Amino acid sequence: MFQRLLVANRGEVAVRIARACRELGIAPVGVASSADLAGSWTRAFDEVVCIGPPAASASYLSAERLVQAALQTHCSAVHPGWGFLAENPRFAALCAQHGLAFVGPRPGVMALMGAKTPAKAAMRAAGLELIPGSDGPLSDVDAAARSAREVGYPVLLKAVYGGGGRGMRRCADEVELRAAFAAAAAEAEAAFGRGDVYLERYLVGGRHVEVQVLCDSYGNGVHLGERECSVQRKHQKLIEESPSPALTGAERAELGQRAVRAALAVGYEGAGTIEFLRADDGRLFFMEMNTRLQVEHPVSELVTGVDIVAWQLRIAARQALGLTQDAVRARGHAIECRINAEDPERNFQPAPGRLSAFEFPPALGPGTLRVDTHLAPGDEVPPHYDSLLAKVIAWADTRERCIETLLSALRATRIAGVPTTVPLHLAVLDSPEFRSGRYDTAAIPGWPLARAALPAAR
Amino acid sequence: MAKVPLVPIGRPLDACLSESEAERNRGRAVERERTLAERRAAVQRGWGDEYVGRVHEKDKLTTRERLERLKDPGTRLFEVGTFVNWGRKFGKQESPAAGVITAFARVEGRWTMVIANDNTVASGAWWPLTPEKIERAQEMARRLALPVIYLVDCSGLYLPEQSHSFPGRTGAGHIFKKNALLSSAGVPQIAGVFGDCIAGGGYMPIISDRVFMTEQAYMVIAGAALIKGAKAQHLSSLSIGGPEVHVAQSGCADERVPDDVHALELIRREVRKLASGAADFYRHGAEALAPHFAPGELTALFPDDHRHAYEAEEVLARLVDQSLFWELHPARGREMIVGVGRVNGLYLGFVANRQGLIDDPEHHGQKKPAGILYQEGIAKVAAFSRACDADGIPIVWLQDISGFDIGVEAERLGLLGYGSSLIYANSTNTVPMFTVLLRKASGAGYYALAGMPYEPVVQLSTPLTRLSVMEGRTLAIASYNTKLDDDFEIAARDPEERAKIEQGMRAVEQRIEGDMDPYRAAAQMDTDEIVAVGELRAWLELFAETAYQASGIRRVKNPRIWSLHDLALLARERG
Repeated sequence: MFQRLLVANRGEVAVRIARACRELGIAPVGVASSADLAGSWTRAFDEVVCIGPPAASASYLSAERLVQAALQTHCSAVHPGWGFLAENPRFAALCAQHGLAFVGPRPGVMALMGAKTPAKAAMRAAGLELIPGSDGPLSDVDAAARSAREVGYPVLLKAVYGGGGRGMRRCADEVELRAAFAAAAAEAEAAFGRGDVYLERYLVGGRHVEVQVLCDSYGNGVHLGERECSVQRKHQKLIEESPSPALTGAERAELGQRAVRAALAVGYEGAGTIEFLRADDGRLFFMEMNTRLQVEHPVSELVTGVDIVAWQLRIAARQALGLTQDAVRARGHAIECRINAEDPERNFQPAPGRLSAFEFPPALGPGTLRVDTHLAPGDEVPPHYDSLLAKVIAWADTRERCIETLLSALRATRIAGVPTTVPLHLAVLDSPEFRSGRYDTAAIPGWPLARAALPAAR
Repeated sequence: MAKVPLVPIGRPLDACLSESEAERNRGRAVERERTLAERRAAVQRGWGDEYVGRVHEKDKLTTRERLERLKDPGTRLFEVGTFVNWGRKFGKQESPAAGVITAFARVEGRWTMVIANDNTVASGAWWPLTPEKIERAQEMARRLALPVIYLVDCSGLYLPEQSHSFPGRTGAGHIFKKNALLSSAGVPQIAGVFGDCIAGGGYMPIISDRVFMTEQAYMVIAGAALIKGAKAQHLSSLSIGGPEVHVAQSGCADERVPDDVHALELIRREVRKLASGAADFYRHGAEALAPHFAPGELTALFPDDHRHAYEAEEVLARLVDQSLFWELHPARGREMIVGVGRVNGLYLGFVANRQGLIDDPEHHGQKKPAGILYQEGIAKVAAFSRACDADGIPIVWLQDISGFDIGVEAERLGLLGYGSSLIYANSTNTVPMFTVLLRKASGAGYYALAGMPYEPVVQLSTPLTRLSVMEGRTLAIASYNTKLDDDFEIAARDPEERAKIEQGMRAVEQRIEGDMDPYRAAAQMDTDEIVAVGELRAWLELFAETAYQASGIRRVKNPRIWSLHDLALLARERG
């Protein structure tokens, strides 16, 4: 097992990884920009290397500095966390080149699953269903019309090399398609340098259901059930739960199996999540794979009892997966709320500041409570990075009791000095839509003022 | 340290040059590449549809159709010598691709060299330079120990030109010597015989290890036309030398097959029996990874005026895996870059010229032009070349060089000697070397950086390549030296005389411009192929995979114990 590991991240995930390291007897080494050096969370590490100024581009996104930090502190492994360089094949390749075990998949697999078209092709070959679409770039407007006729309107024209909603156009019929095609290509060219456009059936609403998998280097893999992440604002998840209220037990098992098989088919190693879109008719379409640990991993940990980060470390150390699928038993229900320093009444504007109060209650029942945070009362929330303050996760033996546990915990939470999203969480959890389990990505349940107006099919 | 410390290099394209510059470079490149594509297509049409039709009428495939079936699905051919005999006429005839196709092809997961007579061009006959082209391909295969597949469909020498292709040291007979040398080096050779194989054509397959003949194929020392009494006895070349004779009676061929399609299938089956490639082993646990910066961006990087600079690092960044590179001796000999990168996970050594201006180590504070070889650069490259040879790291030479430094200081510093040391190293290296003439390839610089006379395994040109002993302007200055002052300006005052001299100088420049045309070089086999710069990464992948395919034929040190580590250590500054 590694003796020393560099945590190439900051804040809550860095603390989470440090905790898993301690459990396995690994000395965690942390990194911090100059803005983070004074953060109380840095005390979780044996050593902290200052890697640069506050701007992430010169610090947390500098592959060379992170590798140097690992080498000069004699680390033998690097955990990238999430965000920053976690899904950057160049960083993974650089670590490997310098003899550092990278906690995650190999760079080639990461690159494959990180590129839309190759990932979809690989997942289709592995037996997953894709949103009906053109399967690759459209050569001209006539090809687009032919494809759209097969796929069925309405369709969404999208940039092959794009993202973030740019270069996307919804077309209700062929007239709109013909009118929009040239403009979509031009917009894609301007935004991404490549004008290649493809199309997909446009799905309204739909639910974001993702499966957590763990795979080792020896061809073994298990899934840890699915998570429902449809409470979103502008593709940012707010509340996640497991199991998904939308799936039956049989659907759940089948989806999990397919996801594991697909991950193993591309030679995936480590913890990963395969994201699906569940259409109104129940079909589950592959959307993308996240080749890293996810923010909402605690939800799966509480339901299955499996420590995902510890397994990441073991897998990176080339240990075989000691779990069989039968040994993974899902029990009860878990829900997580991401508490951000954002003001829901002011369009979720991030509001950094000093935490004059920061208290979470002990578990008030009926279920149990877990709080993942890197902050303490009196800490500054710096403006340079994401605004996550804490994750509050509840577990109970039923979904209703889980909601109750979380509601009472959030009502007793005291955070002062920055605005938080707690009011939103309370409103959502208490809403009839959320309680019924019948909600999707088209709107935030219980929060009608929010403009969650982007199409469900990203 | 025993690690290979590759680090990120390169910047995004928009940080390297302005949008308008990139547009202009791309626009010019598009024109040149269109010409390249059109000319390639013209060569690949052979003698045209009528001849394609004639082949099909006989229920045979054309040579290019055979190649399509032979290679693994989803792979591409890397053709060399496409433009041999370009623009050359033999009476009224032309010989596109010199009547033979020579290409690297992936067959059953192994890279092979395929040598296939073009049966749409004079029934696959041999023109002047056809033997040399075949021999060049055989040599590439020999150096890399790649299996050779001959698709023989060859009516022998094109007789009107026989004096240029029969007798010489590199004439047709040398093909069979090359066959023998390949065999004696243990390189597998497989031949499919598809049609008329007369005289030289008849000899082509015999030394190969496995020979397949279709029912339409025959091999004869001489055709029926030359045999007395053939008409009376109703003898045809097929009856004299078809599969009935050579498979069953003489044993000169091994198996008979009904037709082209079956022959190709059986050839593939033979290749499957050969040792699989070792390249995966030499990836040392890495995967094949694309460059972080797209190789297609190379098109935007090169100004077409060879006097305008670009950053050589940016070229390298678009050729190596994940744009990671280890530059050795970065502080010395700044006009050159030497270092190591991975291509498809396989280690290659790179030598590249910087462009623009660099600091002059002999004159503190002054600058001098790069794209020229000076003392330290030459020494650095020579040491690197020797180390790569010792370590078994194949070398890629990226040339954009005007030549050596000249003048008092150059002589005093002994560039003749340093240059000779470099040439000695390159001449005696056994590690595979590959040369790419990016733009300028001038004079001694072309020689020193492993140009064709130093026998790299493959040399590529781009549509921008200018290959000659010196630039036109330099030659004009040399020719008119007595008429010029110390600043190389015309000394004469009289306007008429000035005009005459200007005209003369321009004529000299234009003539050598013509010499520099990459298509002329390719036609003469002074370079192996012309490729668009956007294709260079694909070619480097080919070089890497073929250089590491055969095991047991050359030294390949594991990277932990490279000589390069010793050099890097000794170059480190001590506090």
